[in-house]
Amino acid sequence: MSLEAVPAPPPMVRLEGVSKTYRRGTVEVPVLEAVDLAIDPGAFVAFMGPSGSGKSTLLNLISGLDQPTTGIVEVAGRNLAELNDRELSDWRAAHVGFVFQLYNLIPVLTAAENVELPLLLTPLSRAERRKHVAAALDVVGLSHRVGHRPPQMSGGEQQRVAIARAIVTDPDLIIADEPTGDLDRKAAEAVLDLFGVLHHDLHKTLVMVTHDPHAAERAERVHHLEKGVLQ
Amino acid sequence: MNYVRLAARDLLRNPLRLSLTILAGAVGVTAFIFLRTVIDIFYFGAQAAQVDRLIVRNKVSITEPLPLSYYARIAALPGVTAVTHQEWFGGTLGETQKDFFANFAIDPVTFLDVFPEFTTSPAELADFRNDPCGALIGEKLARRFGWKPGDRVTLKGQIYPGDWTFNVRGIYTGTRPGVDTTALVFGYRCLNESEQLPEGLKDMVGIYAVRVDDPARSGQVAAAIDGMFDNSPYPTKAESEKAFQLGFVAMSSAILTAVKVVSAVILLIILLVIGNTLAMGVRERTRDIATLRAMGFRPRTVVMLVLAESSVIGLMAAALGVLAAPTLVNGFARAIASQFGQIPDNVMRGRTLGVSALAAVLVSLLAGAGPAFRAVRMSVAEGLRKVA
Repeated sequence: MSLEAVPAPPPMVRLEGVSKTYRRGTVEVPVLEAVDLAIDPGAFVAFMGPSGSGKSTLLNLISGLDQPTTGIVEVAGRNLAELNDRELSDWRAAHVGFVFQLYNLIPVLTAAENVELPLLLTPLSRAERRKHVAAALDVVGLSHRVGHRPPQMSGGEQQRVAIARAIVTDPDLIIADEPTGDLDRKAAEAVLDLFGVLHHDLHKTLVMVTHDPHAAERAERVHHLEKGVLQ
Repeated sequence: MNYVRLAARDLLRNPLRLSLTILAGAVGVTAFIFLRTVIDIFYFGAQAAQVDRLIVRNKVSITEPLPLSYYARIAALPGVTAVTHQEWFGGTLGETQKDFFANFAIDPVTFLDVFPEFTTSPAELADFRNDPCGALIGEKLARRFGWKPGDRVTLKGQIYPGDWTFNVRGIYTGTRPGVDTTALVFGYRCLNESEQLPEGLKDMVGIYAVRVDDPARSGQVAAAIDGMFDNSPYPTKAESEKAFQLGFVAMSSAILTAVKVVSAVILLIILLVIGNTLAMGVRERTRDIATLRAMGFRPRTVVMLVLAESSVIGLMAAALGVLAAPTLVNGFARAIASQFGQIPDNVMRGRTLGVSALAAVLVSLLAGAGPAFRAVRMSVAEGLRKVA
């Protein structure tokens, strides 16, 4: 019988020596400094820290919305620096789902149409898209709100639609930027419960930025950022 | 859900603003069509010119006369099949410009040989030729004043002082669309043999119209005519009918240039109005656009969505403008027909409508390009931070 060790799967997110500096006029403002980080597939990680500590910048780098000044960002085995704008767009469409603090739903589209949006970038047929949309809305418990537009829904419901939109393409990684920041306690709990389902039942990798310690408690691991430095 | 629906929903976010923009664009398109038609009207005479006709005028100026004696010498030239002469009379019916219509003294015998597009019945033509002060009137002029054969028309002479009375002997029509049927022509003898004729104008005519057997030899015939009278007291300038008509257009070149500039300015206004609406719409949706791009929508797709909106605005404005233009333009044409004479009933050309509609759509696309490219130039992270 062989006792060879099974190799550990490569991390879903790997940051090595990542720093980010913004230039405001002639002044250079360092936002992140020498961040090294690895997030395993299926992990649920939260980042906390005061405003201006670099949390959102870190999320932008991980999701390919921004480029580091130095260092390597590798997600799902791809070094994001090697991708051009178009490839990055395609990569995000295939691998990343977003949940924003203010939900960022398109107000003139219904819940179903909002959820369907990322599927327009896939080769799925209209009927297949509808099936995926129905399934995603079912996961977040909003099958009865299919035809409602965002202004007709509560904040909690809108955020659940946003979560449905984030998972409808079955991405490897879900990025959540203050997902409960604009919700009351009850709605926030419902959203966090949903994150629990995504993590435990659907085995998604979740990276969340939050100010809320209660929300952070739901994560497996919590990182603190202080003035751009990972504690 | 598809891209068309997405663009349509974005377009309908602010229906009032959309309606006003389309309306403004339509007003611009109508104004553009109107001005382009005005330009067409100026060139209408040149477009209706016949290739086998030459016009011979005094080399010094169109207002200077030529001797009647040139008639026989021109008619005898090889390649000339017919010659006639005419004289701008410039009489007025009433005191106001509203009563104005074109009137000429012509040679009743040869006129229709050179201008066969004018036609009347043989009986009326014979009456006209037999009456030294007989007149033929165009059918539109007859309709305008309710005149009929047998009526007498008195015009007040401006170039030839005094009151001049003509006997309407017939009504002429055109053999093809575009023939001027708003004028009155009368026999040259009535003018030339009158005691009212000012001194020095006896046996003088305004211009000769010459018909040639081969349009390809028009230049040679024109040169021969000019050469024949080069050293006379009344040197001539013979040119094609088209060139002659364009000479009239050239006299109005400053007005035409102004009209062309204004029509270009109208396109610029359409561009600014639609551009402003799209810029506002795109700015209001900065976060939505950033969200789409975060999800993986390529910049090109976002640009196409905005351009689709702008082209729809352009198409709607063009459609409304094209629908509204005929009423305005044809009304204007009717109002000025007495001054311009040769304006067809349906003065607006399909080409003008097509070009105007195309210009509106192209300008709309151009108007959308700025906001579209600005939308995708902004970094996604920055766009996501915007709060509507």
